[in-house]
Amino acid sequence: MTVLTQVVFYMLAVLTLVPAVLAVTVKNVFHAALFLVLSLTGVGGFFALLGADFLFVSQILVYAGGITVLLLFIVFLSGNPKDWAERSLNGAWGVAGLVCAFFISLLTVLFHYLPEAKPLAEALPTTGRLGLLLLRDMLLPFEAVSLLLLSSLAGAIHFSKRKHP
Amino acid sequence: MISLSGYLTVGALLMALGLWGALARRNVLGILIGIELMFNAATLNFVAFNRFLHPDRLWGEGFALFVIAVAAAEAVVGLALVLAVYRNIKSVMLKDLNLLKG
Repeated sequence: MTVLTQVVFYMLAVLTLVPAVLAVTVKNVFHAALFLVLSLTGVGGFFALLGADFLFVSQILVYAGGITVLLLFIVFLSGNPKDWAERSLNGAWGVAGLVCAFFISLLTVLFHYLPEAKPLAEALPTTGRLGLLLLRDMLLPFEAVSLLLLSSLAGAIHFSKRKHP
Repeated sequence: MISLSGYLTVGALLMALGLWGALARRNVLGILIGIELMFNAATLNFVAFNRFLHPDRLWGEGFALFVIAVAAAEAVVGLALVLAVYRNIKSVMLKDLNLLKG
């Protein structure tokens, strides 16, 4: 069982990180969005491996299903096809790489100060407990998020509406 | 068994890749893709900390749900802005977004 978990973990790591590298490097934005779908599905697999079943489903539904379809629509509606053949990186990619390498090294130093992880408990279904948590302890942020989603809907309509002269 | 630091390493690599994409791309949509990768790294860390440090409570997963909702709102407004910009200047490349330079 533990060996199987390790094999699944490394396969999911490859499925997440390799498409993520491709999504930030390929020239064609359409292909980058498709690689983003693969990477997000890999993160969803990690959620399933960690026993978060409801988050796994919402990751697939909201991210791999909703947000990337929206992204693909905007790729089709905007941008010239000649942009896709141009250079995809600006002049600061080396400096950006240095910043990211510094960030990674800082985090790996911080990992040494983490508390010892407890052995894993049995993974239970989380949907019912999550619903109780959202509607009992997290009720105020829950309502705030509903307000945020409503205002983002209104903002999207406002920004994308054609102005009549 | 994979320990907590395995998941955190994946999350850190994903965060660094997203940061690099957001800093180095010339296309607005590429930058949005990088930001989505960073959101996912944060969500993965929330769920991993929840599972390993507090397996009896679900606050980390609740926060991860909120991160997903906020990311959806961000994507909607950001993409609507990209579309509005494209209607005005017929480009989504950052080098053309220089109206405020005068």
